[in-house]
Amino acid sequence: MERKPKNIFVQGAIEAVFIADSIQKHSSKTNIGGHSIFLGQVRADKIDEKEVVAIEYTAYEEMALEKMHVIREEIFAKYNLTCMHVHHSLGKVSAGEICLFVFTSSAHRKAAMEACNELVERIKAELPIWGKELFADESHQWKINQ
Amino acid sequence: MAINIVIFGSLTDITGSTLQLENIADTNALVSELNNRYPVLVNSKFMIAVNKKMIDTNTPLNNNDTIALLPPFSGG
Repeated sequence: MERKPKNIFVQGAIEAVFIADSIQKHSSKTNIGGHSIFLGQVRADKIDEKEVVAIEYTAYEEMALEKMHVIREEIFAKYNLTCMHVHHSLGKVSAGEICLFVFTSSAHRKAAMEACNELVERIKAELPIWGKELFADESHQWKINQ
Repeated sequence: MAINIVIFGSLTDITGSTLQLENIADTNALVSELNNRYPVLVNSKFMIAVNKKMIDTNTPLNNNDTIALLPPFSGG
């Protein structure tokens, strides 16, 4: 099945109600037996007595969406999934809020769990997205992924 | 010949988010010109994309190409 590139970007934090709605929408797909969900949350890291209050995300959007399309196709080819949804924040997301939502579903749990894990790793490593960690005194440092 | 450069992440602290340069034949010439203008860039790690394709060898540049300077990704 040919799939079109989807926009994964959301302005600001990903709301809990959006995640709940997304789960609810799958109740009509009764061939699904398991979902796997990863939620990335902004951590209030302390660096030299200063605390991260938010992360501001920017992306090379066109390139990120093209790359995400390739990753999506490869994950669908590798795992027997019913569906896959990816949402990533842009702009400012406060500590404690959700910035990444990855949601995979399959008939049996293993495919959903393994695909979700691989997706999160590939999103962090391969998509041109950057996080700027903002401190309360308006200084910043650029996030480094581990 | 003008090339348009878009800059992302930590590099924007050094160069701002866009640049336009004239008379740059290839990506090696681009890197030397950038290092010339912004000496601290020498210590920065980044990749170059030409028209959204990541390159790893010297690549000729054409009029109106879009070049992106991409420091290590830190999404999620």
